[in-house]
Amino acid sequence: MSRWPEWAFEVLRTVLALVVALIITFIIVLVVSAEPGEAFAALLGGPLGSPRTIGVWLDDVAKLTLAGLALSLVFQARLFALGAQGQAYLGGLAAGVIALSSLGQSWLSIPLGLVAAAVTGAAYGWIPGIIKARFGANEIVSTLMLNYIAIDVFAWLIRTRISPPGSGLTRSDPFPESAVYPTLIPRTRIDLGIVIAIIAVIAIWFYLYRTKRGFELRMVGFNPRFAEYAGINVPRTIVRTMAVSGAIGGILGAVFVQGSAYGELAVGFEGLITFEGILVAIVARNRPLIVPVAALFYGYLRQGAVLMGLRSDVPTEMIGIIQGVVILLVASAGLYGWLRASQANRAPDTDSDPDAPQPPIIGGGPLTEQAVR
Amino acid sequence: MTELLTTIISATFFFAVIRTTVPLLLAALGGLLAELSGALNVALEGMMLSAALTAVIVSASYPWWIGLLAGVLAGMALGAVMALFHLRFGADVVLVGFAINLMAAGGTVFILAQATGGDRGTSLALPSKSIPRLSLSWLGAIPGVGGTLEAALSGHSYLTWATVILVAGIWFMLYQTATGLRLRAVGEYAPAAAAAGISPDQMRALGLILSGALAALGGVQLAMFNYIGFTRDMTAGRGFIALGAVLLGARRPGGVAIAALLFGAFEALAIVLPALYTSIPGELIHSIPFVVTLVALVIYARRAQLLTRRRVAGVEGAT
Amino acid sequence: MDAPFALEMRDISKRYPGGTLANADVSLDVAAAGVHAIVGENGAGKSTLMKILYGIEQPDSGAILLDGTPVQISSPARAIALGIGMVFQHFSLVPSLSVAENVVLGAEPRRGLVLDLPAALRSVGELAERFGLPVDPAATVGTIPVGQQQRVEILKALYRNAQILILDEPTAVLTPQEVAELFTAIRGLVARGRTVLFIAHKLPEVLAISDAITVMRGGRVVGNLRTADATAEELTRLMVGRDVSLQVARTSHAVGPVVCAIEGVSANNSAQLPAVNDVSFVVRSGEILGIAAVEGNGQSELLEVLSGLRQPTAGRITLGAEDVTGWSVRHLRQAGVASIPEDRLARGLAAEATIAENMVAERIDRPPLVNRGILDWSAIRRAATELVNAYGVRTSSVQVPVDTLSGGNMQKVVIARELSSQPKLLLAAQPTRGIDIGATEFVWQSLIQARNRGAAIILTSADLTELLALADRIIVLSKGRLVAAFPDPANLTPEDLGTYMLGAREQPAAERAMAS
Repeated sequence: MSRWPEWAFEVLRTVLALVVALIITFIIVLVVSAEPGEAFAALLGGPLGSPRTIGVWLDDVAKLTLAGLALSLVFQARLFALGAQGQAYLGGLAAGVIALSSLGQSWLSIPLGLVAAAVTGAAYGWIPGIIKARFGANEIVSTLMLNYIAIDVFAWLIRTRISPPGSGLTRSDPFPESAVYPTLIPRTRIDLGIVIAIIAVIAIWFYLYRTKRGFELRMVGFNPRFAEYAGINVPRTIVRTMAVSGAIGGILGAVFVQGSAYGELAVGFEGLITFEGILVAIVARNRPLIVPVAALFYGYLRQGAVLMGLRSDVPTEMIGIIQGVVILLVASAGLYGWLRASQANRAPDTDSDPDAPQPPIIGGGPLTEQAVR
Repeated sequence: MTELLTTIISATFFFAVIRTTVPLLLAALGGLLAELSGALNVALEGMMLSAALTAVIVSASYPWWIGLLAGVLAGMALGAVMALFHLRFGADVVLVGFAINLMAAGGTVFILAQATGGDRGTSLALPSKSIPRLSLSWLGAIPGVGGTLEAALSGHSYLTWATVILVAGIWFMLYQTATGLRLRAVGEYAPAAAAAGISPDQMRALGLILSGALAALGGVQLAMFNYIGFTRDMTAGRGFIALGAVLLGARRPGGVAIAALLFGAFEALAIVLPALYTSIPGELIHSIPFVVTLVALVIYARRAQLLTRRRVAGVEGAT
Repeated sequence: MDAPFALEMRDISKRYPGGTLANADVSLDVAAAGVHAIVGENGAGKSTLMKILYGIEQPDSGAILLDGTPVQISSPARAIALGIGMVFQHFSLVPSLSVAENVVLGAEPRRGLVLDLPAALRSVGELAERFGLPVDPAATVGTIPVGQQQRVEILKALYRNAQILILDEPTAVLTPQEVAELFTAIRGLVARGRTVLFIAHKLPEVLAISDAITVMRGGRVVGNLRTADATAEELTRLMVGRDVSLQVARTSHAVGPVVCAIEGVSANNSAQLPAVNDVSFVVRSGEILGIAAVEGNGQSELLEVLSGLRQPTAGRITLGAEDVTGWSVRHLRQAGVASIPEDRLARGLAAEATIAENMVAERIDRPPLVNRGILDWSAIRRAATELVNAYGVRTSSVQVPVDTLSGGNMQKVVIARELSSQPKLLLAAQPTRGIDIGATEFVWQSLIQARNRGAAIILTSADLTELLALADRIIVLSKGRLVAAFPDPANLTPEDLGTYMLGAREQPAAERAMAS
């Protein structure tokens, strides 16, 4: 039996996870649904049903890609910063303010909106970055708190300042047409957002693998103590990474609000898609060029689930189960030990030097170096 | 300003603080046990949510205490799932936690819809029960302070009082029993515990399952006392605030209790403020607990950094 | 037939999944109430054998007999139950717990549900006294010296009633004086009927303490000797299979101008406690300055200060003519400072990154590998391939992760990277710790070549014979202070250094200043 290349193994692992998740979904649908045929048809075939649904799917893919990219960046630096949600709200707010200003009458509001969103998102990513780098504050908690705060601030500003005065609405007036992304294919949601997502994929790939800053980011992710010793400024790299990721999060916000799907500022526009970016990033193994592929697959299921909720008695939220199962299975490298074991003669990485310090039981470093989890 | 002061320095406000604190504190105690065993539990939110829904659905057909037990079992099951995937299958504990959160967020709405026959927002259709209140009306008979005491202490749920006992019990477990010693040893330096014949995986599984039970109690209190019934995403970030309380409480039960009380007080404040100051926007009041958690996190991290000796808990991949 | 041996291992074989044959038909007879040494180079299979005996690894074939009875040792817990205790080279202690808590962990005395701490303190105190292993049962483990931590490890085994005690390279972290104390304790254990298995590679110590010696090489037993009949030369030949002498020819070489001057430097450790106290010395081009110190006496912090990883709290450091006090790692590296870190895997490498990335990580801030922030991958690959070839790193490609290499080849990656920049000042912290004789030879040669090329080298080592062999001058640190300096180590002995390292003696300030 020949050795499988690592990537083939990873692909197989991911496909298996997806298959298992779908099987679990099928079983649940069979149990709860009075019309399982309808539900399956909508889940698996729905997105391809019409040009409109294909458009909605691809529009989701663009957004999932941006969310996945923002998270891949921080994950590669081994930072569990989940601030993309808050960055998207504030970035979207910045883009919306431009679109609703007099600038909105000009096509300039599109690039300016992007820049404003990126800067706002970067600033909002910079905050947890600096408190992580300066004080060591846990970035999971800080970014989640900042998300909640951004949601509240966004809702407050929309209600009191941005919605038509006295209306008490939770949305703004529609943006002028010149401030909304032009659609690439008429009567679908396929618009400039997709182009922006593709450019972002390439830019982030280039940043990570072709620039000094990306090199530093990855070294910090691999081993921050090594990075420090090699002369890389670790705190500054952390802050920079979270700011760059924040910029992507902000751009996601602009793509949302200036996209043809919205063309306005509305409370709750993000619809928790940034958390689904976690799934996309994990499935893509944090590799920017794989992120859009993962987004295509996941976006399809997501759209299928929405259609299933509309066309059958199975609620859309069913997809939460798919999300959880896929993450659990993809993240569980150890679950696939038997797969590896079946590959003849493949030596595990660690056991090549039998007398080298081995992980089990024997203590690690000296006592002053406490266990690093 | 005087209005605010008279509101805050009142038995009613104290009562409200206890009410908001208890779910947070229970979840934070759960977070503490997992954290001390060396497994960061970011799934407190999902565990609370799942337990809340389970308790509501079960208590619609059975007595309240069976609903409570069912909720706790649900939390423990999720803790066991975390332990299985993290310890046996080698998945990162934070990823497993977020998988649980995503599953709980979608899954609870899905199950709610099944249980209510289509309602994806609330469990109004279900006649769920509440945890009984413990009446201490005899306190009122104490001359002078009796009325105040009664207003502050009478009418809390059984679970509220159980929580007070749990704080002491968890302190006792951690610092006065062999299990606690082993749990802490595993969390601080697992190879040492392993060399002494203790299985780190077993202790971490214990930490995660107990963590699930405690977070579940928090969720149950929320859905069977603070509010009666389930609403979609009713935990609203409390699981994450609880995580902040674990860090702020310096990873000790007493400290965690004080931190939870602080966060609970601000949540209670956010409840009374709109009535006092109609001019302050509700959204901003709503964000107070999150702002306070963030600020506390920074202050604590800064202090911990100055003291250094004790390591700040966190995802160690990151530091 | 005589009385059964305390321990017999019969035809033990173990092959690791990677295909390495770690033990091949290893047999061993250990007499009761004696000290049995097992010697061999790193990679000889002695650690694997001990892991099998302690139940961490399972043999593919073979049998283990205790007092003549065959036993299955499926886990460390089983080994403990059978009366086997092991003290690892890296201690398995929980720093924030007390000595007594660490000793009883896993076998705690209880009163009902409650942990009986007073009983633990009492029994650990008694045990320490009975076996002559003085240590305060109430002390926090993280705050006591290494020698005492080792006693805690031995007490842990004795508390579990170990009859056979495996000590894995126990002297590696000790001063000569602490070694003498350990040997006294070992003799006490043997006198009370315990059997000690002593894993080592320092032959004088083996000859001093053991009753019998088993020599291993390449996974096989190549000799069983009674210590009384053995000589160091014979053991060495058995261990390496040829005559080697790690002797450095003391060629005369030109010592140049001062490269680095350290004046009154103080620094704190990670717990913000003073670790380096008002230290002054210089190091010149073309010399190796050895720093002798017991672990935790400020040498690590001092090297971190010099490499820019740690800020000094006082003092001045000049490199060439420049004041470099407080400079960052990057600036110091650009100014010609390189360092071989103490913990090569944890600090010196990014294990999941490729060999190429590891080789160039400290040079990605300047041309030719980077232009205007953009990496030139073909130049990076070329540079890495050159280094791989020059230093004989065995790999098929520079594009594979560094953790696919063997331990010795990982070492070479670190050394290749650090020496490739032709440093003016090289900081070498414990450069041969945990590597075999062949690799040690390579490291020594590399250091000497760098010195002969004109580099100034500061070397720390826990192995005093290494310091004495390599260093042109030696300074001694004790509790962060410079307590002695020797301009000519030729006629020094480890014992001489030991008295200073423990702080028992101190040279007069004038003499120190002259020599440092």
